[in-house]
Amino acid sequence: MSAPLILLLMTFLFLFFGYMGVPVAFSLLAGVIVGTMFTDVSLAAIVQKMFDGMDSEALLAIPFFLLVGELMSSANVVVRVANLSMALVGHIRGGLSQVVTVFSMFFSEMSGSTTADVAVISRALSGPMKREGYNPPFIAAIIAAASTIAALVPPSITAVVYGAVGNVSIAGLFMAGIVPGLMIGFGLMIYCYFFGPAGLRRPRAPLRTVAMAAKDASLPLMIPIILLGGILTGWFTPTEAGVVAAIWIIAVIIPALNRKHLAMLPYDFCIAGLIFSLPLITIGAANAFGWMLAYLRGAIVIAGWITSIAGNDPHLIMLLLVLLFTIIGDFIEPVPTIIIFMPLVMALTQAGDINSVHMGVVLIATLAFGLITPPYGLVLLMASKFVGVRFSQALRAALPIYAVFLATIIFTIYFPSVVLWLPKQVIPESVGCFKSPSGAGYICPK
Amino acid sequence: MSLAEKLVLRRQRHLKWPALDRLETILMVMCGIALFGFSTSVAFDILTRTIGHPWLWLQEVTSAFFIYGIFTGAAVATRRNDHLYLTAVAEAMHGRSRLAVEVMVRVVTLSVALCLIYFGYINFLRGFSSFRMPSMTPIASLYVAIPISGALIALFTIEQLVNGCKNGFEHAEEPDAESMLKPLDLPAPQERQS
Repeated sequence: MSAPLILLLMTFLFLFFGYMGVPVAFSLLAGVIVGTMFTDVSLAAIVQKMFDGMDSEALLAIPFFLLVGELMSSANVVVRVANLSMALVGHIRGGLSQVVTVFSMFFSEMSGSTTADVAVISRALSGPMKREGYNPPFIAAIIAAASTIAALVPPSITAVVYGAVGNVSIAGLFMAGIVPGLMIGFGLMIYCYFFGPAGLRRPRAPLRTVAMAAKDASLPLMIPIILLGGILTGWFTPTEAGVVAAIWIIAVIIPALNRKHLAMLPYDFCIAGLIFSLPLITIGAANAFGWMLAYLRGAIVIAGWITSIAGNDPHLIMLLLVLLFTIIGDFIEPVPTIIIFMPLVMALTQAGDINSVHMGVVLIATLAFGLITPPYGLVLLMASKFVGVRFSQALRAALPIYAVFLATIIFTIYFPSVVLWLPKQVIPESVGCFKSPSGAGYICPK
Repeated sequence: MSLAEKLVLRRQRHLKWPALDRLETILMVMCGIALFGFSTSVAFDILTRTIGHPWLWLQEVTSAFFIYGIFTGAAVATRRNDHLYLTAVAEAMHGRSRLAVEVMVRVVTLSVALCLIYFGYINFLRGFSSFRMPSMTPIASLYVAIPISGALIALFTIEQLVNGCKNGFEHAEEPDAESMLKPLDLPAPQERQS
């Protein structure tokens, strides 16, 4: 059987089994196992590739970020952050929908996980929004859209995976993700202000109330400072920053704010221990799938198609990749997508002479968008389940919000100088800059 | 409710043998121990490097806990149906078509699990010729997690297959009682905005 046919068979089996209800990790492996039978690769080598995909030091950060998110939500500490969001923007037109967006911008910087974000926000705010008369499909749509910010801003787990698999600076991806993350956040606030439901009017919170809410939330809000500060000063790797943040929660936040919850810590560890294995086993399986794709020269073939249309034009290459990832992201989750298609992305990054951090942020933003598009918008699916509306209704309510994401993605493609400005200032080496031989400042590629 | 009882999922009881509840508890506790273990070893790694006396073997301990945690979690998630799914078309089906799809899902999972057992075992045997630095422990000590996890996945899949065929896969579920986060107490709004 020819290589393209084997690839088609593998892809078909993965999607078919996946959509029938086989777990993603097993459907990926099933596709690879069947495909391998038509090649001279041994199945023991495939199991080995699966193992190699997980055995990466950079991926160690994932459990810690998930642990931080789990501890924050199960100890009920995030309510303080939600109260601060309410004090800051609860009075603006759109009311609770503005609160959802700002709360997500805060919480994303603690959890790094879109699914953790959507679960926490739905539980905390969907009830009050329903009681205040917001349309349930709109509630699901705005919660889902806001939750995708977690895929972009630090400590994004998607960025960790992209960095680990593509050998790209994770700190650089974190920094570069801030601008598109804020663009989506503020874009959603602007959308809610002009086009969303008006909501109920609250008085503007007095400065004293805002100060009190900020004081209440100060301990949880230290987490982004620990994570970012530790990584940017070079004190910690992302993994170590995650450990320090987890220690901060266990040793300081929970004893100070919810001492009773200390007894629940063993339970939290067991649950977080289970949760972290789920993306990682999927990463292992996707690594085996991606290896077969590369072995059968699939990445080179697709890269050839794209460069035959785009030549070496970096913008066109990125636009075509965005189109491809939008289609793929409609069917597959971001983490396996990144791992499977990384050989293709690396080939095209080289062909277009594109900065690897820039390419990473563009693709992560695209995959974040894929989380709210049909037929498999995971985050929108979760939000509609939590809010209790049909997916199709939530989807209709989310359609106008797509404009915010498309504008952000296009901006990110065409204005790399803005997106990469922050990493260039803070960690110049992460975006390919090197120290000037004269010793003064850095020399950066254009 | 004790911690052990809380760790066993109450969903889809019709697909489970109560005798395996204890195994689920043990595996959940092992997930917690693995996470706690590598959190502690990474913390000590930072500490010992900061004071200028790094313990190099800590990184081996960390990766061992990490790998065991992943494979233990993957196994127990099979019993709890906690894996990541693209979608569950079967849930919208009824009758024979539902039975056929549910059986197919388990057969595919079982086949993958059997591959993990057999080819994982081959890798385990080969792992005795490669060593982890600096302790020179054979890498087989990590590879052994693959066939064990495969065996557990196979066991839990057979459990669901047998019980599903006997009791049916369709069952009314009580809603998840997982939400520990209280909804917000919001200040009273004044009027609807125009």
